[in-house]
Amino acid sequence: MIPRKPNFIKSGFFVVVLTIVSFINSSAQDGKALFNSKCASCHQIFKDAVGPALMNLEERGKWADHNEILKWANNPTAYMAKDPYTEGLKAKFGSVMQAFPDLTIKDVDAIVGYIDQQVADKNKAPQTPTGETTAPDNGHNAVIFGVISLILAIIALILMQVNSNLKKLSDDAENILRPDPVPFYRNKVYIALLAFILFVVGGYYLTKGAINLGRQKNYEPAQPIFYSHKVHAGINQINCLYCHGSAWDSKTAGVPSVNICMNCHKAITEYTKGPKLFNEEQQEINGTAEIAKLFKAAGFDPSKPNAWDPSKAKPLEWIKIHNLPDHVFFSHAQHVRAGKVQCQTCHGEITAMDEVKQFSELSMGWCINCHRETKVDFNYSDSTGNKFYSIYEKFHNDIKAGKMDSVTVKDIGGLECQKCHY
Amino acid sequence: MKKLLIITGFITAVVGCSDVKREPGRVYMPDMAYSRAIETYADHSNLEKEGINYTAKPVEGTVARGDLPHFPVAQDKAGDTVNYVASKAVISPMAALSADEMKEAERLYLVNCGICHGPKLDGNGPLWKDGNGPYPSAPKNLVGDPVVSKMPEGQMFYSVTYGKGNMGSYASQLSTKQRWMVIAYIKSQQAAKAGVSAQAAAPKTDSTAATSAAAKK
Repeated sequence: MIPRKPNFIKSGFFVVVLTIVSFINSSAQDGKALFNSKCASCHQIFKDAVGPALMNLEERGKWADHNEILKWANNPTAYMAKDPYTEGLKAKFGSVMQAFPDLTIKDVDAIVGYIDQQVADKNKAPQTPTGETTAPDNGHNAVIFGVISLILAIIALILMQVNSNLKKLSDDAENILRPDPVPFYRNKVYIALLAFILFVVGGYYLTKGAINLGRQKNYEPAQPIFYSHKVHAGINQINCLYCHGSAWDSKTAGVPSVNICMNCHKAITEYTKGPKLFNEEQQEINGTAEIAKLFKAAGFDPSKPNAWDPSKAKPLEWIKIHNLPDHVFFSHAQHVRAGKVQCQTCHGEITAMDEVKQFSELSMGWCINCHRETKVDFNYSDSTGNKFYSIYEKFHNDIKAGKMDSVTVKDIGGLECQKCHY
Repeated sequence: MKKLLIITGFITAVVGCSDVKREPGRVYMPDMAYSRAIETYADHSNLEKEGINYTAKPVEGTVARGDLPHFPVAQDKAGDTVNYVASKAVISPMAALSADEMKEAERLYLVNCGICHGPKLDGNGPLWKDGNGPYPSAPKNLVGDPVVSKMPEGQMFYSVTYGKGNMGSYASQLSTKQRWMVIAYIKSQQAAKAGVSAQAAAPKTDSTAATSAAAKK
């Protein structure tokens, strides 16, 4: 049961809001134009983008004073030299804000007024999640197109029917006797046409489906804990190998055990400093509750951190996303260490994914294509190179003679069947 | 009526269809796709019932090929610091690192330690960021803090192996040899830093290290 405020309070509140809105409206109009021209390419109101989110800006310490905002915006580099907060922003976002030397205090007032109004508008209508307005757009378009083509098809059918009826009428008037027209569903031309279309369309989807059978591109299982790679590897810059260390020297990249999570989460017990988290269904995720799930598996009580016994931890059953069939051999060490392939080449922008999904097809064609195109760093002479490549005498001679300019993985056996299937 | 139901059903199916792929899908030949052998991350819990003897851990005291012998000091019991102090006496079994090994040690440091202790070893890694990061306590400054600068390598090894304070054990992420390499790297950086400051101040001797550490105890 949701407690309701009495109506008169509600309406009174609305009157107040309306008067405030109409009062600030004129400045908000300017504010919107200013915001869009000066700020919007880097800032969003509710979400961190290139720069921080601007909602509730005035609650961030110094920014309550618009003069401070002005000083900052007029010359960020000079301001930052004396201000640890903005220095921290630089560290977080990786760059300093562009300077806006012509901005005036009026402009700042207007922009902040606009932002506050946007925030107030959003708070007034909290029941519409942001995702709903943008995400299903494509679906709506497809439905609209579908409906339009259906209507057009029906109109075409009706016109054809009308046409045959009129013809019959005119035939009757001229006393020409013809056999009864064949109804369209028994008309052989129509049936043949329909069969052909069905064959082509059906064949297309059938082939596509058959090719994709066993491929899991975009596979994005819901994991036992909402672990955001964006927060860990992106924002907090934890190296991939910190958790997946065995990618460096083993076949498997390795899923970290609970003790590796606890290296940091022994101290980090709640999620407060990062951006808001949403899963793919656009439901908001409570980061602290997710960390609590880890503590449960680890048998860790955050109120008594020193009493923790790591040996009592239970493994977390993460769901493996990248599955290769058993008849394929793949070694991470070979690719990551010897081949110096970046993780992102095959796994995509992991640092931007809240929930990880399979980025690559992991099909044979995909492997082979990369083996054809990837050049091998053939340098073996100094300590940085791989001495194994010294055995390819012919290639080295050819390169020296100018017969070939580079060696690809294909040239050193990257397309041999037994390289991966044995 | 039935038609209407079918149409509404179809429309909701089209509109409500999400492109998030939560299921892995099917495969042509499951016996070729899924391993019959027990793979790395397969469920190991039922093996005993099936009469399969499997131990995920090597026998106690096993030393991997190419690795160094185990650290001779055991972990302290809770609230005790005897072994922590005793570990000061342990000397690294590694010879001085070659240039290649030092490079590898630096890589290991940056992957495993730099996240808190900072790529410059100044205790200001991305997780701390002068207190703006998510980590609530300041990591030790490895090149500026006299306690760490003077800490014997054996004691550093103890901390890396068993954990110390908020820091966890890195025994599962780094082999014995790798841990000694990282410590050698940290020591070399500390020496480099001390060398820079020594040009201004007088060089300090090792005897002060022992006294300051003893004073701390």
